[in-house]
Amino acid sequence: MRISKMIPTAFGAALAAVWISSQALAANVPSKPMPEATEALLEQGRDIYFGRCSFCHGLLGDGEGPAAKYLDPRPRDFTLGTFKFRTTQSGELPTNEDLFRTVSRGLQGTAMQSFDSDLFKNGLSEDERWAVIAYIKTFAQEFDDPELDPVETGKVISLPASPAPYGPETIAKGEAVFEKAKCWSCHGKLGRGDGNKEFRKDDWGFPIRIRNVTHPWKIKAGGEVADIYMRFTSGISGTPMPSFVKSLNEEDRWHLANYIKSLQHQLTGHQTLRAKPVQGALPENPDDEAWNTAQPMDIRLAGQVVAAPRWQNPSIEMVTLQALFNDKEIAFRLIWDDAFKDVAHDETKVFNPNELAKVGGFSSYVEANDMVPRALETFRDSIALQFPVKPPQGTKKPHFYRGSSSDQVHLWVWKADQAETGKRGTEEGTARGWKQPIKVQAEDGQQVMGQAKWDQGRWTVVMKRPLKTGDKNDVAFEPGVFVPMSVNAWDGSNGEHGLIMSLSTWHYVFLETPTPISVYVYAVLAFLIAGAVGIWLMRKAENEEEPVEAGV
Amino acid sequence: MKKPRVGSFLSVVLTLVVVYALVKWGIPALSREVTTLPFPLPVPGTLMFFYMVLTIVALFLFVTFSDEGLNDFLRPVKKFLRGGYTKSLRAVVLTAIPALIGWQVYEITVPKMEVPSSLRIQHPSSNFPKSFEAKKNPIANPTEADVDAFIEQAKANEVDFIPQVRDDVENWAEEVDPDHVLELFPTAAMQKLLAQLQSGDVDKDTARAALLEKNLFEGRALYAMNCRACHGDSVAGDGPMADGFKLRPINFTDNGTIETIVEGYTFWRVANGGPGLPAEATPWDSAMPEWKLSLTEAQRWQIILAEYDLAQKTPRIPESH
Repeated sequence: MRISKMIPTAFGAALAAVWISSQALAANVPSKPMPEATEALLEQGRDIYFGRCSFCHGLLGDGEGPAAKYLDPRPRDFTLGTFKFRTTQSGELPTNEDLFRTVSRGLQGTAMQSFDSDLFKNGLSEDERWAVIAYIKTFAQEFDDPELDPVETGKVISLPASPAPYGPETIAKGEAVFEKAKCWSCHGKLGRGDGNKEFRKDDWGFPIRIRNVTHPWKIKAGGEVADIYMRFTSGISGTPMPSFVKSLNEEDRWHLANYIKSLQHQLTGHQTLRAKPVQGALPENPDDEAWNTAQPMDIRLAGQVVAAPRWQNPSIEMVTLQALFNDKEIAFRLIWDDAFKDVAHDETKVFNPNELAKVGGFSSYVEANDMVPRALETFRDSIALQFPVKPPQGTKKPHFYRGSSSDQVHLWVWKADQAETGKRGTEEGTARGWKQPIKVQAEDGQQVMGQAKWDQGRWTVVMKRPLKTGDKNDVAFEPGVFVPMSVNAWDGSNGEHGLIMSLSTWHYVFLETPTPISVYVYAVLAFLIAGAVGIWLMRKAENEEEPVEAGV
Repeated sequence: MKKPRVGSFLSVVLTLVVVYALVKWGIPALSREVTTLPFPLPVPGTLMFFYMVLTIVALFLFVTFSDEGLNDFLRPVKKFLRGGYTKSLRAVVLTAIPALIGWQVYEITVPKMEVPSSLRIQHPSSNFPKSFEAKKNPIANPTEADVDAFIEQAKANEVDFIPQVRDDVENWAEEVDPDHVLELFPTAAMQKLLAQLQSGDVDKDTARAALLEKNLFEGRALYAMNCRACHGDSVAGDGPMADGFKLRPINFTDNGTIETIVEGYTFWRVANGGPGLPAEATPWDSAMPEWKLSLTEAQRWQIILAEYDLAQKTPRIPESH
C-alpha cells in the first residue's frame, strides 16, 4: 500500500529530473543542425559579429580587437582555423556543434562568456548563434575544404557507450592512470598545475599557466566528467596539452576524467571566519596539527580593477583562511595555490603606472603580456591580511580597497623574499587609501610572527599576533566582536606587484565566545516543565472514566 | 457499508499540514508561473506565521463550535493519553514533545553569531546632485555642429575614430581596401549614409543616425576595455571578475536597474563610483571605480550609450520641472 502511494512521487521526481537536465542541455545543444550558410544568414551573422564579438576578436576575426591585448587567454584568432575546445581528433577542425557549445556557454574563467538568450534577455537566440557561427567560419579557409570536415571524414569523437559510473572505484583507477600517463609532469602530483619548473608557452608565444585542475571555475570548456574526458581525448590545439588517444584506451580516459573530477575543490559558503579558542600556545608552524581543528573559510579574490593600474588577469583567485586564538594571541593560517615559488624581488623592474593613471589615456588596464614581465625570478609572492584600524560601528567600514585618509586600514603583509632570507616575513603597515603606498610601522611596533612553506604548488603561511597591542594604529581583537577582514595577494611570476594584484572585499573574523551556562539551564528547565505537564495530562486522562463508545 | 470517516483530530492535523505546504511550497511554485522569473518568491516568515495563526484560530472555532465537536476532537487525544494506541507510543511522544520544546528554548537563548547587516539602498539619492537629474547624453543627442563636422569628415573620407579602435579599423581598411572607411559598419543607417555620400546629397537625419552608429561602435569598444571584466560581455553582471566581489556587479539586463534611473544618474554613478555613494549604499563594499579618475566625460557618455544599447534598455525620462 505504502509503496504504491510512493510511485506517483517517484514518478514526479523522475520527471523533474528529466526536465532539469533537459533545461541544462537546452543551452548547449542546438535543437537542429546548422542551417545552410546562405547570403542572408551570413549577413545576419556579420551584423551580430560586428555588434557583439568584434571588440575582442577584431573586425577581421584575427583576435586583435581593441580589448584583446589586455586579456589572458587572448581572444581566438579565427583566421588560423585552430580551435582549442573540440570533440574532434587531435589537430582537426571543430564541428559546428562544438562552436555552438562555446558560443552558448562561453569559456569559464575567461572573457569569452555565454551568449545564450535562455540565460539573459539580450543574449543570442539559437538562430542568431548559428548565424554568427556561419559568419565566423568564413574567416578560415579550412572550413571550405570538405576534406577537412571532421564530420565528413569521421574524425568526431563520441563519448564512451557505457561509461563507468562516478564512484570511488573508478576514481581509484583514474588515479593510477594519472600516474601512468604522467599527467603530473605538467599538472603536478596534486593537480595544482605545478609540475613544470618553468613557464610553458603556447603556439603564439605567450606564457601559459598549466591548469590547476582543482579549481573548477577555471576549467574553461566545462568541469563535468564528459567535458574533462573530451579534453584529453581531443587535446587542446595550440597548447602543450596533447591528445591521449594513442596512449590511453577509452575506459582509462574515462577513469581519469572521473579522478580529475574528484579533485575539484568545493568552495565553503560562509562569509565569517570563526576563530576557535584553544588552551595553551598557538601554532606558528604551518603544518601544526592544531590547525586541523580550525574551521576553514574560502575567500574568492578578483583582479584589482578598481583603479589604475588595473589588472584583470589575476593568478590567485582563492585563499583559504583559518584562525585560532587563546587568551593572549590570535593566529591565522592562509593557504593558496601558486604553481611557482617566487622568492626574488627586483625593484628595478617595478612597473611605473603613471601612463595608465591619466584621465582619458588609452587605457587604465595593464596589458596581459607586454607591460609587466611575467617570468620567474622577477617579483616576489606575497599576501596581506587587511583590517580596519578603528573598530567598525554597525556595518560601516573603510573601503575594501585600502580604506581612505579618514578611514585607515591596518595590513599584515607577508613577503616571500624576506621570509626566505630569514628576515621578518610579515610586516605591519597602515594605509590611507590606494593612492599612497602602505606605510610600514616602526620596528618596535612589529609584532606579527609566523612561518611559511611552499610545497606542491601551494603556499601555507601563518601570521600570529597579540589580540591587543596598545598601538592605536593596530587592529584589536576581542571575543564576540565581528572584525572585518579582507585579503590582497600577489603572484610574482604572474607579474604582480604593487597595485597589480588580486584582492577580496570584506569578510569577517569572529572570535567565538563560550555559551553561558544559563542557556543549558533554561533548556533543561523547559524540558522538565513540558514533561511534567504531559505526565499530569496523562494521569488526568487515566483517572477519567472511560467513555462508552457511542455505538448504535 | 460504513462510510470511512476521518476523525476530527486527524482532519485538524491534516488541514494544518496542507495549509503549511501550500504556503511553504505552493505559493513559491505559483509565483514562478506568475512572474516567469527563473527563481521562486518565498513567503516571508512573518507572513507564514500570520497564515498559520489564522488557520489555527479558524480550526479552534470549528472544533469548539459545539461540545460534541470538542469531544470529537479530544477523544483520540484522550485515548492516546490513556495509552490506547499502545503505551510505548505514548512514552515516545511524551518524551519527544518536551525534548523538542527544550531544544527550541536552547535555539532561542543560545548566543547567535549574527553578522552585522543592513538593508542596502541600490539607487541612493540622498547625495545625488539635482543638477544631474535632467542631464542628457550629449553623445546620443549631438548638436548641429557635431553632425556637420561628422558630415565633413565622412565626405572627405577622413572619419576620426578614437585611438582605442584605430588599430583595428586600420587593419581592416588595409586588408579590405574599401572605397570608404565607413563601409566597415554593416548597419542600415551607415549604409544609407554611404549611398547618400555617393550621390552627393547627404541629409542631416541620416548623418545623425550614422554618427550614433559610430559612437555606439566606439562605446562598445570602451565598454569592452573598461567595464567588461566585471559587468560581462553581455552587460549581465557576470564578467570574469564578478565572483570575487561581495556586491556582485549590476546586471544591466535586469528590469529595475539602468532603465529605472535617468541618464544623469548613470553618469553620476559612473563618475563617482563606490566611494561617491552615501552610507546607506555601503560604499565600502562597492568595487565600482571612480571613473572620473580614468575616463573623460565624452568616453563615459559613449560607454553609457553602448551600455543601454547592449542591455536593450532605455533610461528613465527625467521629470519635467
